[in-house]
Amino acid sequence: MTSIGNVSAVGPPGRARRTGPLRRLAPDEWRAFGFVAPLVLLEIVFVTIPLLLGIYYSLFRVDYFELTAFRGLENYTRMLTSPTILSALVATTVFTIGALVLTLTVGMALALHLERDSRWNVAVRAVALVPYVIAMLVGSLLLRWMFSKDAGLIGAALGPFGLGEATILADPTAAMGALIFNAVWRDSAFAMILLLAGLKSIPPELFAAARVDGAGPFMRFRRITVPLMRIPILITLVRLMIHFVNVLTFALILTGGGPNNATQTLGLAMYRLGFVEFRLGEANALALLVFLFNLILIAINLVLFRQRRGAGR
Amino acid sequence: MSGAPSWRARRRTRLVTGAVVNTAIILFALFPILWGLSTSFKPADEILRFPPELIPSNPTLENYALLFRTGIERFVLNSTIVSVAAVVGSLAIGSLAAYAMARLAFRGRTTLMFAVVALMSIPLPSLLVPTFTFLANLGLINSRTGLALLYTAYQLPIVVWILYGYFLSLPIELENAARIDGYSRLETLWKIVLPLSGPGLVASGLFVLTFAWNDFVVAVVMISSEDYKTLPVAIYGYLGFYGREWGPLTASAILSIIPVIAVFVVFQRFFLGGMTSGGVKS
Repeated sequence: MTSIGNVSAVGPPGRARRTGPLRRLAPDEWRAFGFVAPLVLLEIVFVTIPLLLGIYYSLFRVDYFELTAFRGLENYTRMLTSPTILSALVATTVFTIGALVLTLTVGMALALHLERDSRWNVAVRAVALVPYVIAMLVGSLLLRWMFSKDAGLIGAALGPFGLGEATILADPTAAMGALIFNAVWRDSAFAMILLLAGLKSIPPELFAAARVDGAGPFMRFRRITVPLMRIPILITLVRLMIHFVNVLTFALILTGGGPNNATQTLGLAMYRLGFVEFRLGEANALALLVFLFNLILIAINLVLFRQRRGAGR
Repeated sequence: MSGAPSWRARRRTRLVTGAVVNTAIILFALFPILWGLSTSFKPADEILRFPPELIPSNPTLENYALLFRTGIERFVLNSTIVSVAAVVGSLAIGSLAAYAMARLAFRGRTTLMFAVVALMSIPLPSLLVPTFTFLANLGLINSRTGLALLYTAYQLPIVVWILYGYFLSLPIELENAARIDGYSRLETLWKIVLPLSGPGLVASGLFVLTFAWNDFVVAVVMISSEDYKTLPVAIYGYLGFYGREWGPLTASAILSIIPVIAVFVVFQRFFLGGMTSGGVKS
């Protein structure tokens, strides 16, 4: 975090600059270090050190915080071959792909529908964001009640189709559908906000010109919106993916991982391993494997972030 | 293209379609919440009635009364304390760091900026196990201080990012004048920059506030004692305790939602400004 960076390339204009790593520290530079020190310290203590300690713990057999035996990489191989983890990996993949496709589609549809800043649109956008601003736990709890057989809503809605006895959360496929619904319900408006920002940066003349040339709405979307929104779409995709791969609240509250572990995602499996079974050695190994995967996504996010800044937005 | 009447008809169709779609969006977003609100006002024996009543015919406050009889206000208080501490801490530390990044030249600045952006995108669930391992060793488990420090650390990157952007947009001339008048850097920040940064401070403060108020995963792992539980952890406890008694469960959900919605309605434009600035976690 504190390695030497190229300051002059990004500095605001009109400031005195010195070059070369061996220059004496100016008083202002000392002051700057003092100003950023609390931030750096807090991030090191609460993010970096835990991760390092996690790596250390992941090499041992741990019984309730007691490091009882050195295991080397055995925790990692155990995790990668455990049937529970592999089934969680499958559940996470199904959930992530389903949630990603639907959230992005609904988010894009919302953004296109609510693009103009009319009074109505601004209000509807705010309402659409409500599931996103309330606690994830509360949202999933309310959906669990809505989907439960006791509520009678599903019976009343599906009764006319002869499915009055359907129990959504007790059927593996339907429960996965409910989990994906939870993600779409909560995060579509988040996708909408990110996509709206990109949509607004497309010059309206392009659409006007295309219309004069006789391009229909679908053609305009495919040939103008999508190509020019490549970076915002990718950013939204990566940000949602980071979220969906890791999220545990949806599964913990809505389905409890059931029925029969069909909706137990990696986040939930990790939570149970660590805080229900207290197998902290294996749990740390799993956490670090997932974190490694996250690092790839974060790196992609950083590259996109840089590109967007490069494009001047 | 034909004449005026067809244009008018098309416009009307478009308005009607727009209204229908808007209604669908509003229903999709709000139905689960309104259904929970309705349930929370129903007496216990009417909750499971079939066919379900969308609007309770005998509304009652007994579910809310039950929650307050069993001391839900403790958890509300804990949530408030931890949230406010996290907001104060992250704004103080964040504005210092953001000011240095916006106005001072120092080695490692670019690296720090990218570190901040990278930190913003680290998903919390993957940090839980290592952090729990570490804090348990430190003895910071089961403490409001520990939780507030964690929230501060987790939300600082977004706070720094929003404030950095905001500080850059302020005219530098005022600060230069203050410096000539003999203000120190700290005085310039405190007396000139911060008073001009209301919207930036509100936007970033709101993110910390809603994050800390809503957080469940960090708190459920770090807090197990009844004395320090925050509201979401308490609601999770109710889920185990009340099981299928959805009256008190939905009432507790509504209690958690009300302050968030109130803040969101009042400060909506600040939220949106902050969200598009770059780094909000989903």
